[in-house]
Amino acid sequence: MSTAPDTAPENPRESTPQTVVPHTTPLPAPVPSQVTTLVDGFGGRWTTGILAAFLQGGDGGDGRAEELGRLDRLAGDGDFGTNITSALDRARQALEAEPPQDYRGWLTAVSRGFLGTGGTSGPLFGMFFRDLARCCDTGEPTLAEFSAGLTAAVATVQRYGKAEVGHKTMVDALVPAARTLEAEVAAGSQAADALARTADAAVEGARGTAALLARRGRASYVGDVARGVLDPGAAAAAIVLQAASAAQSGTTVDTGWVTA
Amino acid sequence: MRPQIVNHPENATEHALEGLALTHPHLIAHDPVTGLVTRARPARDKVGLVSGGGSGHEPLHAGFVGTGMLDVAVPGALYASPTALQVQAGTVAADSGRGVVQIVKNYTGDVLNFRIAGELAEDEAVLTEVVLVDDDLATDRGDADGPGRRGTAAVLAVEKICGAASEAGAGLAEVAALGRRVAGRARTIGLALRAGTHPGAAEPAFVLPDGVIELGVGIHGERGTGRVPLADADGLIAHLVDPLAEALALTRGSSVIAVVNGLGGTSPLELSIAARATHHRLKDLGVTVARSLAGTYVTSLDMHGVSVTLLPADDDLLPLWDAPVRTPALTW
Repeated sequence: MSTAPDTAPENPRESTPQTVVPHTTPLPAPVPSQVTTLVDGFGGRWTTGILAAFLQGGDGGDGRAEELGRLDRLAGDGDFGTNITSALDRARQALEAEPPQDYRGWLTAVSRGFLGTGGTSGPLFGMFFRDLARCCDTGEPTLAEFSAGLTAAVATVQRYGKAEVGHKTMVDALVPAARTLEAEVAAGSQAADALARTADAAVEGARGTAALLARRGRASYVGDVARGVLDPGAAAAAIVLQAASAAQSGTTVDTGWVTA
Repeated sequence: MRPQIVNHPENATEHALEGLALTHPHLIAHDPVTGLVTRARPARDKVGLVSGGGSGHEPLHAGFVGTGMLDVAVPGALYASPTALQVQAGTVAADSGRGVVQIVKNYTGDVLNFRIAGELAEDEAVLTEVVLVDDDLATDRGDADGPGRRGTAAVLAVEKICGAASEAGAGLAEVAALGRRVAGRARTIGLALRAGTHPGAAEPAFVLPDGVIELGVGIHGERGTGRVPLADADGLIAHLVDPLAEALALTRGSSVIAVVNGLGGTSPLELSIAARATHHRLKDLGVTVARSLAGTYVTSLDMHGVSVTLLPADDDLLPLWDAPVRTPALTW
């Protein structure tokens, strides 16, 4: 007779330390009794912010996709800007055709936009947003659910892309961000503060890629030529997390650091 | 611009697929919306076989859809992987309830999008197995850190043998294991006398000086691993057969399936001369050619060149190789 439980715990937060011990992070502190909730309509606000930050359009956004494409032409194969534009255009069309009911619907549309795009970063972002879409069933996620979703999404990106911190990829922005948010949740921080510090960690990680020699991705083929150039995947990931922070706090995304 | 038979460069692959389907309506169907190429009448109660990758390698893969080979081909844009959603749709379309084997050539984008598609297909209760084809001896660097050997013409042998096994009723794990065995044993190397030219492009992907050929080319118009002086057919083929025999440790008495493959711009007359040279060279080495094939199967647009694939043969593989096949590009 097996002594294993009938069902594996679905959420690591609910598991006992004996069954699931994250090997990269300390055990989380007990979940605070008062759950920190994301604002109503977080999924829609976040998605809209992402679209505005990357795409050109009449919505007053930054339209950063073109700048990221320029970075990719310096250090990679130059298709990043068009890929991210076509992925988010596809998502925007799907959202206009069928407006989502909740967070999961918004994020699923973003995920499918990327999964329907070629290249390497497209499918990786597609799986990243797929995990984030799945972090709660209905409505908007709690901050803790969002954190668990981000951690799972980063693990998925690493599982497929095999990149580690320091390889000059989107992982350099994502890993510090996910770790920061885990710590903020464990400390019981308010959602707006937690997401602001998460975005800061992502931006700091992305900025650090400029000094790195690429070990994964297209930039790894050009060697020293890519030194001094910000990794466009890391920059895009950081902007995505800046948009999450802005969605919670009602502020705007400042992506000026990309060209600074 | 080089004269080419194209309407618009942007829809060259789409028009080619439509033409292939119009030519073989009893074998295949092409859906212009999804881009998928499927059997005209889907097979029932068998392990599904799906393959795909960038276009520009015609007749691969759409030309190998039919009885005894693929159920579904998922063509991407020219030299670009299909997207994860396209491969997911192809994988689901290939399933008749017994699971699907995905045959994937070893390129970063193909591997990534097929793996993701397999995970997405699981959401729709489709079991998948992946067979990775990485046969190109030219990119065999012997270290584990690089991207590994590219997938080239051995994909034909993998699709043929997996197709025969699945047609005969083999299960998912068995078909996948056979495919992995073929992929693990087959090796290919190619050479080019002239690079291919993209639809609408003015010049070939690279230009060779007079009197030299490019050795170790892949199937994406890329440069090879070295250049050697132009020689006669026997001399050129020796550049391919000899390293293959060494890599596969072929000795007197070894038996192989040999595929002499044109890279898109090589005349049938030249391919037959290359086949002759391949047979003679192997005979000189004491190697028996159990089965062989010469034709244009896995191409790099209109590259003028040839590759040779050798697959050590045994009593399990030969009946599967001999089993009937009926596709636009391969029939016996």
